[in-house]
Amino acid sequence: MSTRFSHDDDGVVVIIGSGAGGGTLAHALARKGIKSVVLEAGRRHAMEEIENDEWAMFEKLSWLDERITAGPRQLTETFPNLPAWIVKGVGGSTIHWAGVSLRFQPHEFRMHSEVGDLPGANLLDWPISYAELEPYYVQAERHMGVTGESSGMPLHDWNNNFKVLAEGASRIGYRQLRAGPMAINTRPYDGRASCMQAGFCMQGCRFGAKWSTMYTDIPRAEATGLCEVRPNAMALRIEHNDAGRVNAVVYADGDGSLQRQRARAVCVAGNSIESPRLLLNSHSSLFPDGLANSSGQVGRNYMTHATACVFAEMPKPVNMHRGTTFAGIISDEAGLDRSRGFVGGYTLEVMSLGIPFFAKFMDPGQGGWGRDYAGILEKYDHLSGVWICGEDLPMEENGIRLHDSRRDQYGLPVPIVYKGDHPNDEALRRHGQQQARRCYEAVEAVRVFDVPDFPTSHNVGTNRMSARPADGVVNGFGQTHDIDNLFVSDGSQFTSSGAENPTLTIVALALRQADHIAERMTRGEL
Amino acid sequence: MTASPRVTLSRRRFLSLTGALAAGGLALGATGLWPRWAQAEPELARRLLRLGRDIYPHESIEDRYYLAPLTPLLEARRDEIAAGLEDLDRRARAAHDRDYGEIEGVAEREALLREIQPSDFFQAVRGALVVGLYNTPELWEPHFGYQGSSWEQGGYLNRGYNDLVIDWL
Repeated sequence: MSTRFSHDDDGVVVIIGSGAGGGTLAHALARKGIKSVVLEAGRRHAMEEIENDEWAMFEKLSWLDERITAGPRQLTETFPNLPAWIVKGVGGSTIHWAGVSLRFQPHEFRMHSEVGDLPGANLLDWPISYAELEPYYVQAERHMGVTGESSGMPLHDWNNNFKVLAEGASRIGYRQLRAGPMAINTRPYDGRASCMQAGFCMQGCRFGAKWSTMYTDIPRAEATGLCEVRPNAMALRIEHNDAGRVNAVVYADGDGSLQRQRARAVCVAGNSIESPRLLLNSHSSLFPDGLANSSGQVGRNYMTHATACVFAEMPKPVNMHRGTTFAGIISDEAGLDRSRGFVGGYTLEVMSLGIPFFAKFMDPGQGGWGRDYAGILEKYDHLSGVWICGEDLPMEENGIRLHDSRRDQYGLPVPIVYKGDHPNDEALRRHGQQQARRCYEAVEAVRVFDVPDFPTSHNVGTNRMSARPADGVVNGFGQTHDIDNLFVSDGSQFTSSGAENPTLTIVALALRQADHIAERMTRGEL
Repeated sequence: MTASPRVTLSRRRFLSLTGALAAGGLALGATGLWPRWAQAEPELARRLLRLGRDIYPHESIEDRYYLAPLTPLLEARRDEIAAGLEDLDRRARAAHDRDYGEIEGVAEREALLREIQPSDFFQAVRGALVVGLYNTPELWEPHFGYQGSSWEQGGYLNRGYNDLVIDWL
């Protein structure tokens, strides 16, 4: 815990961010004897600070620095300054994620080869295949404690919410219904407790049953004596030498003072808004368009997921708030089947919200009120809900830009998060909404209604992987094409979004990147 | 059905059986528990209550639960809120020859509110209520069947997370 590295120590890897990418990487490097300093913009949270309270935890955990939501989407109106619902704190968004741990499907790594050119989409194959990543998926699943074969833990029992959805789903012919895989323990695993079915997964797990770097990788990395985590350290700029290799990171510490940490290599893992923002803000005379941006793709191809929520009122109480938040997954629509009128697939994931959030999110627009609205809330305990997690196509114009004049508390340009839908996204979403409706109607819902998008927790693609330097920002190991010792270690590497929640793939990529960095260091290349 | 008692239904049933719901204005409107600003300006509070109860109508929720979340708004923007209510009354008189609160038809009142829905005034009141009213722990289980914080009780592992029997098909 007490390891301190000097600001002048140029033997450390500087990792920016402590979530699924950065936290995993710091720990993996430490186990290989590689020193790192982790700069985390947020503070540390103690387990005792984790409450079962939606708004209180939203206030404590969320990244609430100014951001501007833009683009032709409802979120621009409903959440003009909160495009994304992600965490600022040691552990990053692994405190908030709900534990769904699906692997990408093999074909999702080569979407461009599968479907060809689509007008308006910037489709590209990943430079790595499923087969290359598969061993790291297994490693990640063991590491995180994902229920299923890799960990040996059984899947969860079906909770009430999933029972309702699954009954409807099986009545319309769906067969791939599972209460997992989840990185939520069904028995004590890796020194952490078994799930108590408390709910509130997205508010942080009070029992530590859900994997989070907050209480696994981060303290374990620190315990090796090879990793120093600096909370309240906001990275402002990455510096480089005359040869164009990065050599330091300038950051603001908790007192607002500027500090400069020298670095052997830099790994950027600040999530898909902050990571490209940092690269863009690090422009210099040598790299006038920002670091690692010779392709012009830094900050572009921003993907969330093509999503929507569908809720249904059932004839009897369901009590969806009991048990894990995302308790079950239907994968029948996850494959590629162009006869549906769109490319890519989606998973249907049963979800719950408490009454404080549900009242707000059922319709966050100006019209979310009235007798009918209150009438649905009166039936809160009869509700069941499902979230559609669908492939979102990359579009070059979707992305992170820097505001011309607005500055944040550090004097940095405020990020503008622009996102519009590809027609494919709309077709997929409609299909998902219709199928979810059919599921609930098959189980005799009293009424079924759509709930609009809320600020997204899945943000990927803004520093994407590519085989050719002209098409993307990083190679298959997350190393930037332009700068030998600069890496991207978070979901911004994703070349496509898949129909799966991103965390498991982020962790698998981070474990793979750690091997790569260690090998290159051993060879004296880094 | 479940390990925890369904307080919601019994309370609602109790209220309707005793006729308290019909006399809601009297039984639930006791001003003793109102916030200070509302006691100081009861007329303003009553007009705001009518508005709040039309935005999120829940018959058996007491007035004070509507007034409490509006307190910060009244403290910060009292004149703007008063002006908004005046404007609403003007619109009501133009359309129905009476103040907003005197219009008996629920649909007529809602139609007037849809007109002013985009206004800062309306959205300020709605915004305070949607976050505040539904974030009142005393109301959760009795009124909505939401049980709130569960970790202190060991979650729902042994308290009904999977107790549902789908017996209605």
